[in-house]
Amino acid sequence: MHIPDGFIAPQMYLPAYGAAIGLWAYGLRRLRTALREETIPRLAVLTAFCFVLMMVMLPLPGGTSAHATGIALLAILFGVWTAFISVSLVLLLQALLFGAGGVTALALNALAMGLVGSAAARYSYLLLRRVHEGFGLVVAGWLSVNAAALLMALALGSQPLLAHAEDGQPLFFPFGLSITLPAVMIPHALVGIGEGVLTLLMFRLLSQRGWVSQP
Amino acid sequence: MTARIALLAYLAAIVLGTTVHAIGPLALGLALVLALAGREWLRILRRACVAILLFNVVITLSYGIISTLQGSFSLEFVALVNLRVLLLTCLTFLFVFRVNPFDALAFSRSLTFLFTLAYSQSMAFKQALEDFRLAFKSRRIEPVGLRDRYRHSARMGAYFLDKSLHQAGEITQAMRSRGFFDD
Repeated sequence: MHIPDGFIAPQMYLPAYGAAIGLWAYGLRRLRTALREETIPRLAVLTAFCFVLMMVMLPLPGGTSAHATGIALLAILFGVWTAFISVSLVLLLQALLFGAGGVTALALNALAMGLVGSAAARYSYLLLRRVHEGFGLVVAGWLSVNAAALLMALALGSQPLLAHAEDGQPLFFPFGLSITLPAVMIPHALVGIGEGVLTLLMFRLLSQRGWVSQP
Repeated sequence: MTARIALLAYLAAIVLGTTVHAIGPLALGLALVLALAGREWLRILRRACVAILLFNVVITLSYGIISTLQGSFSLEFVALVNLRVLLLTCLTFLFVFRVNPFDALAFSRSLTFLFTLAYSQSMAFKQALEDFRLAFKSRRIEPVGLRDRYRHSARMGAYFLDKSLHQAGEITQAMRSRGFFDD
């Protein structure tokens, strides 16, 4: 799901960093005000859990595969800001250790997956759990993937407009919105179903063990 | 050169790499990065190629097909984008190879602890994941169906979640016993 290095123009990734740095500082301050002894270790292991969850490839019919992110689960259990910081750390680790995602795209990936994905998941769950909790969890999982994917598709698809040579050749990501939106959103609509089911199953598992307090 | 200066130099080089749109300077930059890598140049280059291979092949092939149909194919664009991505990825691996990222983040005590813990836990989980994968592979006598693979993935997910919550408690106790929370 990550946007890799080198496909986003500085006209976009530098302002994204500006926004993300402010939001990271705010998120860390929120964490610090709620700092209890277990906050740092809990956040660290959740980050590691998210990291490994993104490495567990789920096979899809037809020979392809997809991976879960656990972002919806994090956001529902621990709140949007904790999820944002945790996902940002996962992305940083992946960028530095595996070259996945990349440093130029880090802020954009963090904003899309960590903030927008988390917020979409948490607030949709809070809204829909009054109707049906299971349905709310599946929708939260689906939205966490697809809200982030939509933002990434918009970011990628606007590159040819943002940065191009005098002859009109793109300088970064080459496809406009008409190609990027369906290419990104259609597979993620399917991947989101898997994320939704995973969110439901994991939440129930945690509830059975008494680890879930109502958000 | 301190870690923080190295971090700033790395970030400046990254930004510079995305503001250059000519093949020559980018190729020169890549050669410089590999020269700075010393004996490790081949390892860094190989790791970078593996990291970017999938996405870049998909983008390059898609661009090749679509732009040829539209009559706007540019070999220069293909070379430019792939070279830039390779340069940025090599730069990142060179930075991680030469500089301890934990030192670079040392401006914040909490962030350093968080990053160190997250890194160590991630590496331990990664190793466990590989062990699970090999165990699953070694027990196969015939191709495994989708149902069994889903069940295997679900059990791994549950194991890692269990492990995470257990580790959080353990680490908290370890930090408390070493006086981390006394300040």
